[in-house]
Amino acid sequence: MSKKILVVDDSKTALMMEREILEKRTSYQCVTACDGQDAVEKAQHEHPDLVLMDVVMPRMNGFEACKMMRQQSATREIPIVLVTTRSEESYMEAGFQSGCNDYITKPVDGAELVALLQSYLGE
Amino acid sequence: MNPNKNEKDQGEKTKPEKSEAKLSAVHPMNDVRLRAARKRLAESRDQEDAIDGLREIAANFLGSEEIGLFKVERRSATLQVFWSFGIDLEKYDLRRVLGDAGLQRVMRGEFHVELAARDRSGTMAKAQAFIPIRVSGQTVAILAILRLLPQKVNFDASDMALFQLLSDEAAGPLFGPIDDSKSVPEGSGIRA
Repeated sequence: MSKKILVVDDSKTALMMEREILEKRTSYQCVTACDGQDAVEKAQHEHPDLVLMDVVMPRMNGFEACKMMRQQSATREIPIVLVTTRSEESYMEAGFQSGCNDYITKPVDGAELVALLQSYLGE
Repeated sequence: MNPNKNEKDQGEKTKPEKSEAKLSAVHPMNDVRLRAARKRLAESRDQEDAIDGLREIAANFLGSEEIGLFKVERRSATLQVFWSFGIDLEKYDLRRVLGDAGLQRVMRGEFHVELAARDRSGTMAKAQAFIPIRVSGQTVAILAILRLLPQKVNFDASDMALFQLLSDEAAGPLFGPIDDSKSVPEGSGIRA
């Protein structure tokens, strides 16, 4: 059974690209959410093997969603990779404090993203 | 198009040493990015959504959160700020930045790309790009990518392919059908 990744971004453009990378370059299954709140709900129902999540989003941002997932038993152990345009150290630190496992910056390098996902999920 | 072609128009004072500014090879996943950008523009519901798409493409694919769109006003043959994100363009002087020759070339359909490089005084000049948005062989707007995110040092060859896509395909979603009969003759008399 293929591993499932929950991709979270309020940008349709980013979702289109990340979905295509996952579907065409990996064997992972892809489900999407459009903001942090949607992500928290979908993570509980879909039981993804990994969450790839934007930070700046409406309703609930990636940091808040990450914290919420860490507080819930069903999602506590899921690896979370945050994706954002912000590269400042303090911002990354805030990401790790919210409970993420990894952090990558935009623009996303597709090959780098695949390698990172494979390091968590295997090929 | 050769992005370095326009560099000779930069003033001597600000002209960067270009030897270290070279475009890297096209990334193997560039096709994925181009397909996503094309789809996003084509699926825009209306002008507002197309502008959102442009902002998303700039942030997610080009690594820029300072962008502006100047529209060619055909009746007055001027360029007007149509929309901007991350920067106030109220007093932005496009003609001063591009120079007359640079502006004319963009109006003729060439990109104007300045790569980040250190100038003679050691100051790092920022990368920026000006992309003609074209329809029926006419430039109807200029997209300005004015600053890259800190982690994105320069434009690369993959970005040029994306510039070409935007130049060829963004006008429809952004402006809808355009009346060619009132076109501004290429490279003539446009005022910034």
